[in-house]
Amino acid sequence: MKIKTLLTASMAFGFAASAWAADTNIEFWTFSMKPKFTPYFESVVRDYEAGNPGVKVEWIDFPWDVIQTKLVTRIVAGTPPALVNLNVPWADELARDGLLTPVDALMGDARAAYIPSALEDLRFKGKTYGFPMYSNVAVIAYNTAIFKDAGLTRAPRDLDEQLAFARQIAARTGKAGIAPALSKIDGLFMQQGLAVIANGKAVFNSAQHVALVRKLAATYQAGGLLKDSLFAEDNFPAVIDAYKGGRLGMLLAPPTALKRIQTDASDIYAITDVAPAPLGPTGIADGGWLIHFAIPKGVDARLLPAVGKFARYLTGDANQLAFARQASVFPATVKAAADPFFLELPEHAGAAEKAMAAGALSMAHSRTMYVAGIDDYNELRRALVKAVEAGVTGRQDVKQALDAAVVIWNKKLAAQKVQ
Amino acid sequence: MTPSRRTLQAWLFLAPALALLAVFSFWPVAFGSFLAFTDYSLIRPASWVGLDNFRYIFDNELFVTGLKNSLLFLLIVPCVQVGALGLAVLVNTRLPGIGLFRAAFYVPVVTTVSVVGIMWGFMFHEQGTLNYVLLWLHAVNAPVGWLSNDTLALFAIMFVTVWRGLGWYMVMYLAALQAIPADMQEAAILDGANRWQQFWKITVPMLRPTIMVCSILSVLAALKAYQEVDVLTQGGPMNSTFTALYYAYDQGLKHLKLPRALAASFVVSVFCIGIALLCLRYLKPKHR
Repeated sequence: MKIKTLLTASMAFGFAASAWAADTNIEFWTFSMKPKFTPYFESVVRDYEAGNPGVKVEWIDFPWDVIQTKLVTRIVAGTPPALVNLNVPWADELARDGLLTPVDALMGDARAAYIPSALEDLRFKGKTYGFPMYSNVAVIAYNTAIFKDAGLTRAPRDLDEQLAFARQIAARTGKAGIAPALSKIDGLFMQQGLAVIANGKAVFNSAQHVALVRKLAATYQAGGLLKDSLFAEDNFPAVIDAYKGGRLGMLLAPPTALKRIQTDASDIYAITDVAPAPLGPTGIADGGWLIHFAIPKGVDARLLPAVGKFARYLTGDANQLAFARQASVFPATVKAAADPFFLELPEHAGAAEKAMAAGALSMAHSRTMYVAGIDDYNELRRALVKAVEAGVTGRQDVKQALDAAVVIWNKKLAAQKVQ
Repeated sequence: MTPSRRTLQAWLFLAPALALLAVFSFWPVAFGSFLAFTDYSLIRPASWVGLDNFRYIFDNELFVTGLKNSLLFLLIVPCVQVGALGLAVLVNTRLPGIGLFRAAFYVPVVTTVSVVGIMWGFMFHEQGTLNYVLLWLHAVNAPVGWLSNDTLALFAIMFVTVWRGLGWYMVMYLAALQAIPADMQEAAILDGANRWQQFWKITVPMLRPTIMVCSILSVLAALKAYQEVDVLTQGGPMNSTFTALYYAYDQGLKHLKLPRALAASFVVSVFCIGIALLCLRYLKPKHR
C-alpha cells in the first residue's frame, strides 16, 4: 500500500513538474528581421529549445514602425511578450512610462561581457533596461572619381573638413558633397560637444550653435549639401539613392549601406573607398545606434529567471558574433567585438569589408546621441529642425530662427520636470 | 399593410446595417469624442480634463498651421468640381474609343496612395520629370523645389489631390448627365437654344443635386486630406504642409498622444459638419 501511495505521489509530482516545464513559454519580438534573418532566428530558437527541454520559444517579427504600438497594446492587455527588440530612444520613453522592467538582477555576471558604453546607453535613472544585442556606427564612404575631379585625395578628418570638402566638390564638379541627417540636428550638436539642454533650459542658440548652423548654411548655399530630403525624418533612402546614382561625393552611413551599394550599383561600389567617420570634439563617433532586448512590464515574475537566461543566450558572444557577421553590424559584447572578422581586412578587400573594419575602429566611440527624459520630444525636435531648416536654407537669420525655437522649447520645458 | 406595420418592416430591414454602423461608426465616434475631453492613455484609465486638450492643440503651432492649411485645401473644391464636370461633358459622347479616355481619367482613383507618392515624388523631384520639361521649354532658369519650397509644397500636394479626385467626380457627373432626358435637350434645340444656353439652362439645373453631393464630398475630402501629405512631404518643409488631420495622425498613431489626436479630429469633424451644412443650405435645389 505504501509503495502504491509513493508511486502515485511520484507520478503526480512528475506530471506536475512536466506540466510546469511545458508551461515555460517565451515569446520574443524583433523588428524588420524577416525574411533575411529568418534562418538565423529559427536556428537560435531550435538550438535553445533543444538545450532546454520543456521551454518553448516563439519568435515574432514586426515591421519597425508598428512594433511600439503593438507592444503598448499587449502590455495594456496584460499579455506582453517576454522580450522585445527596441532602440535606445524608444526604451527611454517606455521606461519613463513605467512600461519596462529593469534587468540588472537578471544580467548577473553576464554584465561584464557587454561593452560598457552599450550598457551605459541603456541606463536610465540608475537602472539597466535591456540586454545589448548589436550596435552600429557610421563610416564615411566616398566616391573616388568625384574626389579626384574635385582635387581631393583623402577622406575628411572632422566636421569642418567634411563641409569644406563638400563645398569644394560642389564648386569643382557641380555635385553635392555630403548629406547630413539634419532632422537629427540635436544629435549633431551633442556629437560636436554643444549641449541642447542645460539646467532644464534649451541652450541651442549660443554663439557656437549659431556658428555651426551657419557653416551648414554656407555649405548649403554653395551646393555642397544634397537637397533631397535634407530635413526629412528619414533621409537615408534619398541619400543612398543619390550616392548610388553618382550624384553625391560622400556618404555617412553604417557598413550595411555598402552591401546595398555593392548589390544595386556595382560601378559606384567599384570606385568607393571608405574611412572611419570623423569623431566629434567629444570623441564620439557619428551614427551610433544600439539595438537591445528589453523586458516589458507585466511579464510573469515566475517566468523572469527563464527569460533572463534566454536573453543572455540570445545576446551572448556566440549569437552576437553570428548575427553581426551576417548582418554587417557590430556585436555589443567585448569578446565578439574583438573577433578578427571585424578588424582584419581580407586580401583584395572591397569597400564593404573596409567599412566593417572602419566601423570596428569607431565602435569604442559609439553612443546613441539623443536628448533623454523629455516628454513630447518629437514635437520639440520638429521646432528645432524647422528653425535649422529656415536658417540653413536662408529663409531666416540663423540666430533669430534658433532664438524662436528656444522660446518654444523653454515654454514646454517649464511645464515639465527635465530629468 | 398599415403604415405602422410598414414602418416596422422598414426598421427591420435597416436593422442589420444600423447595428453594424452603431458598432463600427457611431460608438467609436461617440467614445472618441468623449476621450478628447480626457487624459486617456493606453497605460492608465481616463480622467476628465475638460478643454485642456483643445487648449493645448490651439496653442500648438503645428495644429494651427495644419488647420489653416486644411482650410486652404478647400481651394481644391471648385477646381475638382469644374474640372470633373468639364471632363464628364467631354467624355459624354459616343466617339469611338471614348471608353478608353473614361478609364484613363479614372485610373488615379484606383491607384494606391503609396504608388501616387512614389510617382509624384519623382515628378516633383528637383531633378524629376516636371523640372526637366520646364527647363527644356526654358520656362524656368533653375529647377523648382516643388516639394522642398515651403511656399509651393502645399500647392503641389493640392494638385495631386485634385488629380486623384477628378476621375471619381467625373463618373458621378457622367452618370447624372446620362440621366438627363434627351427630349429636354431636343426641345431646347427646337426652341433655338445654342450649346452654351443648353448647358446653362438645362444641364446645370438638372445636375444641381449631383453638384451639391459632389461638392459636399469634396469639401469633406479636402478637410480630411492627410494621405498625400504623408507620402509626399511628411508635413515638411518647415512644417508647411501639415494639415489638421495629418497632425491628428502624427500625434495619435506615430506618438500615441491619443487625447490630442482625438481633440484635433473633433475640431476637424466640427468644421466638416459646419461646412457640409452650409453646402446643404446654399446648394440644395430649390425645387424639382
